[in-house]
Amino acid sequence: MTDLATRDGESTATPDALREERRRRMSPRDKWRRFTYRFTPYLYISPFFIIFAVVGLFPLAFTAFVSFYDWRLTTQSVDDATFIGLQNYSDVLFGNAVFWTSLANTFSIFLISTIPQIIIATFIAVMLDRNLRAKTFWRMGVLLPYVVAPVAIAIIFSAIFRDPTQGGLMNSLLELVGLDPVNWKSDRIPSHIAIALMVNFRWTGYNALILLAAMQAVPRDLYEAAALDGAGAMRRFFSVTLPSIRGTMIFVVITATMGGLRIFDEVRMYDPRPGSVGGPGGIFRTVVLYMYDTGFNGAKGDLGKASAIAWLLFFIILIFAGLNFWLSGRIATDGSGKKVSKRQLRREAAAIVNEQEGAR
Amino acid sequence: MRTNTRRGAVFAAGVVSLSMVLAACGSDSSSDTESEDAGSDTSEETEGSDEAASDEQIELTVTVFGNGGYEGDADGNNNLFRLYEETHPNVTIKETNAGQGGDALTALLNAIGAGGVGLPDVQMIEEGWRGQMDELSGSFVDLTEYGAEDIKDRWVDWKFEQAVSSDGKVWGYGTDIGPQGLCYDATLLEESGIASSREEFAEALGGADATWDDFWSVGEEFTSATGVPWLGVSSFAMNSFVNQQEEGYYTADGELNTDNPEIQAFLTQIVNATNDGLTAKIDAWTWNNEDFHGNFGVHVCPGWMLGAITEAVSTGDHQWDFADVFPGGATNWGGSFFGVTTEAENPTAAAELADWLTAPEQQIIAFQNAGAYPSQVEAQTDVAVTELTNEVFNEAPVGEILSSRAEGVVAQYKGPQDSVIQDTVMGGVISELNAGQISTPEEAWERFQALLAENGIE
Repeated sequence: MTDLATRDGESTATPDALREERRRRMSPRDKWRRFTYRFTPYLYISPFFIIFAVVGLFPLAFTAFVSFYDWRLTTQSVDDATFIGLQNYSDVLFGNAVFWTSLANTFSIFLISTIPQIIIATFIAVMLDRNLRAKTFWRMGVLLPYVVAPVAIAIIFSAIFRDPTQGGLMNSLLELVGLDPVNWKSDRIPSHIAIALMVNFRWTGYNALILLAAMQAVPRDLYEAAALDGAGAMRRFFSVTLPSIRGTMIFVVITATMGGLRIFDEVRMYDPRPGSVGGPGGIFRTVVLYMYDTGFNGAKGDLGKASAIAWLLFFIILIFAGLNFWLSGRIATDGSGKKVSKRQLRREAAAIVNEQEGAR
Repeated sequence: MRTNTRRGAVFAAGVVSLSMVLAACGSDSSSDTESEDAGSDTSEETEGSDEAASDEQIELTVTVFGNGGYEGDADGNNNLFRLYEETHPNVTIKETNAGQGGDALTALLNAIGAGGVGLPDVQMIEEGWRGQMDELSGSFVDLTEYGAEDIKDRWVDWKFEQAVSSDGKVWGYGTDIGPQGLCYDATLLEESGIASSREEFAEALGGADATWDDFWSVGEEFTSATGVPWLGVSSFAMNSFVNQQEEGYYTADGELNTDNPEIQAFLTQIVNATNDGLTAKIDAWTWNNEDFHGNFGVHVCPGWMLGAITEAVSTGDHQWDFADVFPGGATNWGGSFFGVTTEAENPTAAAELADWLTAPEQQIIAFQNAGAYPSQVEAQTDVAVTELTNEVFNEAPVGEILSSRAEGVVAQYKGPQDSVIQDTVMGGVISELNAGQISTPEEAWERFQALLAENGIE
């Protein structure tokens, strides 16, 4: 601010005043040209925002509106609905434990799926980042599961993971190696593992490719320098690769969080019984499945309550995406796990330079 | 800060101008057509439309679910919609199969909630939705205006009555009914030494006086002889039992009847049977084809179920059969209707199609296609029905058996939440039982009450 002022030789003028002065000197034509130059881009991108407002923002706001009403699936307008304030929210939160158990299930499935998924995706990306023959083939290969519809994946996995009374490939394999068969559909944690596998089957390759794209942007000379300094593959990964792809990693973690907390297709199809609520006793009922069941299970059709669940889930996702953003932002630039200040970095760099000069 | 505000304002201006452009486009085109309309020769117009009326192209949309036999037999022949198009060259039918009944109901309710957007012209309605039809009948045309009274005698009287709402509107024409017999694995039954023919099987279960107690005791004999569970899907037995009662989950006056001691007693029977290994612990509609290849002995079979399990029973090397017996006597499970929605652009044509589809001749074809037993008096006595045998089920005379099973069936009152109680609540309890989460009758009954409360049914 002061720099600018001194350069113009008007030490008392604020930038705003300066801009005002410049504008006064412009001809109307210049003004118009300047206006179109600066603002037409906004006009060009506005269709997206208009469409988003209609099909995204409006439903979002309308859901909030509906959540304060006793609103059935067949209610056609607000005239047929009764305003009940926060009743839907208190029913969901305190009416019974279903919301909380389904939230716990959601988190359990989310953790079982997301953590291995990101670790494996990173590993695959590192492997793909090497000099492989037929690169494109391998890269497309890991994306293939993503092409398969989640419902189809769920049907296939449902046939593989079944209860021992029903057989199923996975239990046959377990028996083959002398292990006890597992209740894949009627025990809580095994069912969560099976569902997490479906999620990972679909998303690991996708995330791997995103991470790979980021890794390819890492300057190769950094690796060379690190290698010359005697850093092994692990050290290079943690000290060079990981800090360099921090931004992409944050993106991947956040999209995985949002996806993981909204999981639905897989759980709905894993127990295809009509009117099912995510396995016997709801052992793998997720929040979205609870919302679907509340809003769309035949005669129940309580859209008001379903909307309340949707908004509660929205807040929970916000909190967790924020938390993950903060956590993944902790990936330090030096790979030590500690966030470092710029000044400290500078001091360290100077120390290294001194050391090298001393050695010479 | 100030810059931001200014940008915001300009952004808003951009949005406004763009939407104005869009709006201008819209109004332009509409005014164009208006002026064209106004300018055209009126006499010519009338002539043109008169001519069009005689062979006017009509497109009808129909939503069906499950396998009611409308979309043809196993090989896709005798598709009733195509047959209708052949005899009515000006009509094109677009049919959609919504999957299982529950999915179809959700889609229907959704469409009604959206103010009718997405409703077909002709909608298939399941018996289990009847409890809601009073509320939903506003979205269906009253078929009395399209000649329902004239064809009233077509159906067994209780079937027609089922489709009349409390204010006297007729919201649908009946298609099939669901009299029940027992499907059984003849290969296993022969092995067990209990029965080597369908007559012997019926006799073993008590013939015309068969009771559920007989059913379970024969089951014990069967399981101890073969080591294979007796009953496949125990929740279906529960559905059949509930339908068999004078009053099911609701009383005849429409009050909740979920403390029904008879239902509790039957649930106890199912818990005990499950504990004794008499059931295959398969949840409703979740079986694989292999489950029918020698993994259990019997399956409760309303007429329409024969079509539903044909693929499963015909792919294995076990012979299945269908017997004229049902524990506890006559019962009806399911059956459907065709209604015409208020969204139909041409309700007369749509009602005509519903009328045609539910006429005896067509219901006979549907029966031949998928085994759904007709509710039309004339069809029930037609030789094409009475003498129909089913190849897949060991040439069983299904027509004769089902007409015998249909005797003495009475319609039960279905309440608004009947389908939720059947599938989510009772189905839920039985799935917990199958998963081993419940082991005593007391626990099962507690869970039943708890799930009722959890689903807001009190």
